[in-house]
Amino acid sequence: MKKKQWVFRYLVPVLLGIFFITPMIALAADPIVIGVPTSTGFLEGKEGLKAVELAVSEINSAGGVTVGKVKRPFKVESIDIRDAAPGVPVPEALLGIEKLILEKKPSALLVGPFRSEALMASMDIIAKYKVPLLGAIAMTPASEEKIKQEPEKYKYIFRLSLNAKYLVKYLAGTMGLINSEFGFNKVYILNQDVEWARKTAEILGQVYFQKAGWTIVGQESFPTGTSDFSSTLMKIRSSGAQVILPIFDMPQSGILVKQWNSMKVPCLMAGFISPLAGPGAWKTFDQKIAGAINSIFEMGSAIASPKVPKSVAFLNAYAKHFGNPIEAGHGPGPAYESVYILAEAIERAGSIDPDAIVAELIKTNRQGVLGQVRFDDGHQVIYDMNPQESAVAAMFQWTPDGKRMIVFPTSLAEGKIQLPAGLTSAK
Amino acid sequence: MTMLTGTIIYAIINSAILALIAIGFNLTFGISGVANFAFGAFYVMAAYGVWMLIHMAHLPYLLAVLISISITTLSGALMYRFVIVRIKGQTLSEVIATFGIGLSVLELFRYFGFVGFEYTLPVFYDKSFIIAGAYVDAQRLLIVAFAVALIIALWLFTHYTHLGLAFRGIAQDERTSLTFGMDPDRIASLAVSFGAGLAAIAATVIVPLGSISPEEGYDVLIKALAVCIIGGLGSSGGVIIASVVIGFAERFTDSYIGSHWTMIVSLAALLMVLVIKPSGIFGKQKELEERI
Repeated sequence: MKKKQWVFRYLVPVLLGIFFITPMIALAADPIVIGVPTSTGFLEGKEGLKAVELAVSEINSAGGVTVGKVKRPFKVESIDIRDAAPGVPVPEALLGIEKLILEKKPSALLVGPFRSEALMASMDIIAKYKVPLLGAIAMTPASEEKIKQEPEKYKYIFRLSLNAKYLVKYLAGTMGLINSEFGFNKVYILNQDVEWARKTAEILGQVYFQKAGWTIVGQESFPTGTSDFSSTLMKIRSSGAQVILPIFDMPQSGILVKQWNSMKVPCLMAGFISPLAGPGAWKTFDQKIAGAINSIFEMGSAIASPKVPKSVAFLNAYAKHFGNPIEAGHGPGPAYESVYILAEAIERAGSIDPDAIVAELIKTNRQGVLGQVRFDDGHQVIYDMNPQESAVAAMFQWTPDGKRMIVFPTSLAEGKIQLPAGLTSAK
Repeated sequence: MTMLTGTIIYAIINSAILALIAIGFNLTFGISGVANFAFGAFYVMAAYGVWMLIHMAHLPYLLAVLISISITTLSGALMYRFVIVRIKGQTLSEVIATFGIGLSVLELFRYFGFVGFEYTLPVFYDKSFIIAGAYVDAQRLLIVAFAVALIIALWLFTHYTHLGLAFRGIAQDERTSLTFGMDPDRIASLAVSFGAGLAAIAATVIVPLGSISPEEGYDVLIKALAVCIIGGLGSSGGVIIASVVIGFAERFTDSYIGSHWTMIVSLAALLMVLVIKPSGIFGKQKELEERI
């Protein structure tokens, strides 16, 4: 009896004290500032920032980050660098990044530039101020080449999101699957007239379609902001194409899908249309997107798989925290993961010295929202097809009842590709 | 053949969209002489207004449309009453002030997080039809019908109503209109507010084809300017002709040359008109000066 009283009188209050006071001590310690310079006025940037805030609130609730012997909380400082907006010059984005570094003194930058042009130009500023960057949006592989050429100078730059080369790999894999399932081998490529989309289309043509015996029956580039695709869809109808491969990240690209549906173009739509990625697209597009196959650039960005349990937990936590599900198929997953990768690197380094953090970031080997995260020598997270061995992206198909079913890679597939009504197999 | 007829059908639809966008801007300028550079912002404001009334206030679609159009129309009148009236007649100041207001409105929407793919409006009637071998959805046909009806209604209004005749009177000669007891400030205020209302009407029928974003405001302003400059600022006939010229040029370029040339074609047309006849196809404003 006395023993029980002792437990309630002393042990329970002490444990409760530890439970509640420890996070408070951490919060009272100097925060570690995380800078988020990105296009917060665009969906990928907006949700990327929210994903960072969610991870930070989770880490801070658990007591913060152990730096040496002190628990320190994270603090997020963001700035809208507007590099995704048409007509905004790259130097303006650079000014935003520099302002954030100089005024807020962040220990690391997360998410980072939206456009590859801005990422490439910002690499020298980041190297100058020695602030590690864990990028989650800009996709050019050219940044990796730059890092490989001058590893000491650019060692602070890392990327967690998919790059254009890996995107090509996933799109080529999906086209291969379509070919083997239905015998389709005539494709019409539609891409936005921006660097990453043009390059993706070009590389895909060179490394896959030509070698795999496909015929590219046509290709069109559309200026950002195009809002009518009717003429091209009529051309596609008469061209005999069996597959339309779209590559777009502009909001207006959703119109392409609406017109594809209303004009009843007898082709399978498979590629990347950013507005089609999230669960809200079904309602946004008046339930007229059944059959369309779309890319999710990183696991955890608007889609989850039970094969990657942390992606399911992340999507649920995000929806609970913000009251809305993630809609961006590119950015939020790696943005969320980057906070945990940074926290672990700081804890291993026992310091917030940038060189010490970088030395630990390179060693990252973590099973998280993206799958198994490891960096290559260009500081790019390695993407492949098995989430136990690498980070993964996904291709999904909208089903007639408004669900998103993962169809590629096969390690994550929840079903086989179904042809939309009116389209028959060539086999 | 199907390709040609399809291109013609979609060119007509494109022309109707351009006419709907430009007619409000043109009406305001033709009557009040105010180049309303907040026009794109009114378009976007009306679209977001409908979206908010449907999704936040849970109002029926048609009621939301009517309320949003009314609020946008009133906003136009308020902009004239509190801003434009103080700088009336100073063209550069009017342009800068209205552009500043437009910029503020559009960027405020961005600041408050109105960014995403969910910002779209439902179509009025969800069906597709086959016309001369080309699939066309009902919303596009509705846009054409609406544009034609609106042009006819505006013509009847300006020719057979007291207010419409007053509009034309002020547009033709402000000083002489004064002698007939017309109040130019009141008419100009109504013209700016009518223009804003027409932007709102255009938004509610065109936006269901796509989505709403702050960028749309800038695009709409550029399109309205291009059509009005080519047609001749202040000329309703010019707006219709210019809409048809640009509408057909864009779709035929898309179909027979390449999509990435589409924007260049309309801008080249704009440049050509400015070089050859700066007052536009039907513009009379500067014709005498040009001749001199």
